[in-house]
Amino acid sequence: MMSTSSFLQALWTGGLQGYLLVGFLLFIIGLMTVLLRRSFLLQFMGIELMLNAINIILLAFGKWQGGAPTASTFYLFIIGVAACEAAVGLALIVELYRLKSTTDADQHSTLRH
Amino acid sequence: MFLAFTLLTLGSALAMAFQKNVIVAGLFLVATFIGVSGLFILLSNPVSAALQIIVYAGAILVLLLFVIMMLNAHEEESPQDDLYLQRYIALGVGGLLLGGSLWFIKQSKLLQSVAERPIDQIAPTSLNEIGAEMLTRHIVSFEMIGLLLLVSMIGAITLVKKRL
Amino acid sequence: MTSVILIPLIPLLGFLINGLMGHRLSRGLSQVIACSTIASSFVLSLIWFTRVLASPDHRIDLVVGEWMSVGNLQIPFGFVIDALSSVMLLVITGIGLLIHIYSVGYMHHEKGTARYFAYLNLFVFFMTLLVMSSSLPFLFVGWEGVGLCSYLLIGYYFETEEAPQAGLKAFLYNRVGDVGVLIGMMTLFLIFGTLTIGDLLQQVSQLRPETHFGLITFATLMLFIGCTGKSAQIPLYLWLPDAMAGPTPVSALIHAATMVTSGIYLICRLAPLFVLTPITLHLIAWIGVATALFAATMALFQRDIKKVLAYSTVSQLGFMFLGLGVTGFSAGFFHVFTHAWFKALLFLGAGSVIVALHHEQDLFKMGGLREKLPITFYTMLIGALCLMGFPGTSGFASKDEILYLTYLHSPTLWGFGVLAAICTAFYTARLMVLVFAGKPRDLKIFDHAHESPKWITIPLILLSLGALLAVMFGWPESFGGHNTIAVWLHSAITYGQTAEQEAHTLIPTLAWTLALISTVLSLLSAGIAWKLYSKGLSWEEGFERKCSRTYQILREKYFVDQGVMALIINPFFFLGKVFWKLGDVIIIDGIGVNLPGALTRVMGDLGSHLQTGRVRNYTLLSVLGLLGLLMLLLVARI
Repeated sequence: MMSTSSFLQALWTGGLQGYLLVGFLLFIIGLMTVLLRRSFLLQFMGIELMLNAINIILLAFGKWQGGAPTASTFYLFIIGVAACEAAVGLALIVELYRLKSTTDADQHSTLRH
Repeated sequence: MFLAFTLLTLGSALAMAFQKNVIVAGLFLVATFIGVSGLFILLSNPVSAALQIIVYAGAILVLLLFVIMMLNAHEEESPQDDLYLQRYIALGVGGLLLGGSLWFIKQSKLLQSVAERPIDQIAPTSLNEIGAEMLTRHIVSFEMIGLLLLVSMIGAITLVKKRL
Repeated sequence: MTSVILIPLIPLLGFLINGLMGHRLSRGLSQVIACSTIASSFVLSLIWFTRVLASPDHRIDLVVGEWMSVGNLQIPFGFVIDALSSVMLLVITGIGLLIHIYSVGYMHHEKGTARYFAYLNLFVFFMTLLVMSSSLPFLFVGWEGVGLCSYLLIGYYFETEEAPQAGLKAFLYNRVGDVGVLIGMMTLFLIFGTLTIGDLLQQVSQLRPETHFGLITFATLMLFIGCTGKSAQIPLYLWLPDAMAGPTPVSALIHAATMVTSGIYLICRLAPLFVLTPITLHLIAWIGVATALFAATMALFQRDIKKVLAYSTVSQLGFMFLGLGVTGFSAGFFHVFTHAWFKALLFLGAGSVIVALHHEQDLFKMGGLREKLPITFYTMLIGALCLMGFPGTSGFASKDEILYLTYLHSPTLWGFGVLAAICTAFYTARLMVLVFAGKPRDLKIFDHAHESPKWITIPLILLSLGALLAVMFGWPESFGGHNTIAVWLHSAITYGQTAEQEAHTLIPTLAWTLALISTVLSLLSAGIAWKLYSKGLSWEEGFERKCSRTYQILREKYFVDQGVMALIINPFFFLGKVFWKLGDVIIIDGIGVNLPGALTRVMGDLGSHLQTGRVRNYTLLSVLGLLGLLMLLLVARI
């Protein structure tokens, strides 16, 4: 259990906890964006934010493992997946827009009870 | 340095989250990516930083902006039919996660032990190393990613075509 | 040796043939099959009777196989032919044969006779099984089986209202008694560890009188309860009068000669056991005499000819139990023997009257039939004289032997017994006078009356011969006879009673005096009845007017039926209704079935609100789920 001061010091100077905190915060912001915004595009951006947060945490741990390239390799794979997901996701968004002429997520609710 | 990049990242992210205009939000997303890239540099990983800019900011974001322009989406969320239940629960979840993460980071001994390792003499990861690693030990995943890209490309095209 | 098992099996075959293929056979063929099966059983019984006579210890055991062997319990398919069962076999098959032949004539106009004869054959099967079995459960098979056949045959006229109900009543009362038999059997197994009669009695003979006293008493009491059900004693006699709804030959066979005597058979079989428990014997004697008197009074003013005979049967059965209760086992059994003959005779005679009058059963409509139905008259007269205990008849011999033994036991019991005998004489005479003597009361019926065909009259004649001759077997030693039957049964019913045998013959003068008293009183009452009724019904109508309440009570059998209905049956119906309306409908259907259904539906309705169609909501739900999982992992790890 760290004391508050050393905790804050780690934050200031870029210790592991700092990076982790950044990653967590970014993730939370991304999550909130997805949940609270109604536009599909904004939600998509939130997803990208979440992915980036994960990347930060991954690479932070990578550095503290001694800088082995495994973390970076994995990071590349994540980017690759993100790209695919962006392509397909945007294609879907375009399709949905064609259907209802809006990107408001709440308007697309035909599958409801 | 760290602080600067952190502020950039988080600030842009927050701004993006609260932005009403989609295009401006996209621009703030770019700023966030740049901030993240900077953090990567601080993490002794210039390769990743570069790749972040190239792929994320350069490709994905551009794609996103294309779509935004194409769809002509000026999103103004009308406040009436906002689902307050969703909002409150989501905020609750967010708060919970926040508190939880703070608490976790603060009190994890494992984390502490990891954090106290000496890392001052670490050389930045070079592209050689990454390439060698990837093409030897993770060759299968590499091929799979390629396949995945192909498939998603085909999928995206198929989805958007009007006539097959 | 194995022809022993043919005795029950051939009637079973007859049942199967008539039962399964009866409707395809001609009427004549099915009747021939039915009668011939019984005839062959009778012949076999005779053969085996002589063999038992010849064998050294008067006993033949045969074990065909093992029925079940569970833990300590071994029940073989065992047959025992000794003095007791051989006599019973002769009665069952002999009188059964006569009744089968009689039925040919009686059921002449009925449809579905194949069913009737099939059931009759089945009955003989079960009854023979009952008397020949060597172990109690096997006996119980026969016991239940005759109950079943009784139900089937009483409810033969299933298109009427009363017959199936009467059959059901008979079966249910029997069933109540069967519980007693089962409990008794279980208790006996608990005490002695075996249910084979031979082993049981052997253990009993080696038993010291003090051990297990309470438990044995309990067992014998339970068994006696079963006997009250089967043999129509108080309190389970109510089914017998209703059972008259069945065809008359059925009443003759089952409810006069055989099934109802199975209770007495059981007690005789287990006599050594009962001797150990004087309490039960005391109870048996008192219930016997109470039933005898009670039923005799109920028979006094009945209108239906068969009902009179039904109550008479109950009453006579009471006499038999009285005999058993005073440890006069052979006397009681001798009464079984004689009663079988003359009661069957009386029933069949009544059936002849009924058929002759085209199914008229009301005594008040008969009269003066002596010239029209001579054979019936004379044979029934013989039967009536036996029933009344006219000196020289078999009924006299058996009844007075019982009364003599009763007096030795307790003069009070004897007093009641004599009272019952007086009533017996009265109602018998009343019956005979109202049917055969005097002037006909319903001329239309009278004109059509004619004597019954040969199928009916020949068995009547044969039965009356048997009734007359039966007396030879048991003329009591007290009156200077040889009492063949008691000696004969001694080999089967042994409980160390040679000393008692001596005691029975000790005081001939007492025996003569007692017999004189009871006979004179009976004849007197019979004479009074004759006097009163020979002028017609005027006396009875007068009596009804003057003492109408008494008359009503007697006529309505002390309202026992109504009482039982109100006190026992209706509460059960009510309980059943409660269970139905409350238990079944509300609790089981409502709470057990409908409630979960309704709950599920409500929850489903609530849950369906989750399906909004909006991606955001679904995302939130998955995040929540993920969070939950994370919590779980964290908690489990930490």
